[in-house]
Amino acid sequence: MIETNIFTEITANHYLILSAVLFSIGMAGVLVRRNIIVLFMSIELMLNAVNISFVTFSHYFGKVDGQVMVFFVMTIAAAEAAVGLALAVAIFKRFKEVNIRFFEHLKG
Amino acid sequence: MTADTFLFWFLAFAIIAGALGVVLMTNPIHSALGLVLTMVSVAAIFVTLQAYFLAGVQLIVYAGAVMVLFVMVLMLFDLKNEIQAFSRGRIRGALKIGSVGILSGLIVGAFAKALIANQALGAKGSLASTASTAVGAIKPLAENLFFNHVFSFELLGVLLLVIAVGTVALSRSKGGTHDRN
Repeated sequence: MIETNIFTEITANHYLILSAVLFSIGMAGVLVRRNIIVLFMSIELMLNAVNISFVTFSHYFGKVDGQVMVFFVMTIAAAEAAVGLALAVAIFKRFKEVNIRFFEHLKG
Repeated sequence: MTADTFLFWFLAFAIIAGALGVVLMTNPIHSALGLVLTMVSVAAIFVTLQAYFLAGVQLIVYAGAVMVLFVMVLMLFDLKNEIQAFSRGRIRGALKIGSVGILSGLIVGAFAKALIANQALGAKGSLASTASTAVGAIKPLAENLFFNHVFSFELLGVLLLVIAVGTVALSRSKGGTHDRN
């Protein structure tokens, strides 16, 4: 029997499925888009999905280790965005375009 | 429908709409705006999960710093609507979307199976009622961060220093991708 209170009672599964949907959208963005900056934005989406999972488990298990891990993920995400955008600037200086099809001739 | 329930569905809708905006908009500035919507909504989701400090950090770091970085680089490039925003090839595109569908199906299927097998996590208040009062506070978070994970935390500081120096060096470099004229 299907539970009828799935819309009125928010459980951990709601948050986890929201996280899964967000991760899938981010993965689709990474696979489908060609602009390297939009690629980095999609990676940020995936990292945020993981953060939602961590905080959900931290809340429902009553432990703060998940929140500590979210700190680390945020730091890595900020570092990744900085390095990636520096690379994008380098590619743009050379090709006047930020499409990933220029990655195949980046031989210097 | 209580206020909490409405808040969750509203925020979930905002997150999904923002994420779809990031992926589907051809103008990168519109993608950046969708990402801002998603980041702010994720911060609000953190508030509903009683992670107040993380919500503040999310707003400052993501919606503040990272988004400013993205938008400034976009403004620097002055990109118009892209001629070819999405990857070529109908078959390859179908393969990529199909692989995403398989992955999301696997994840949702795993959640559904876990929900059927074990109702403990889904049951309202069974786990959360005992300990969630302590989770919301900042003090246990700080104690865990600075007692158990202090070496990782310091290593993150070193990592950020290396990243800062490396980024400056990369953007000033004359070799590789830089035009030699």
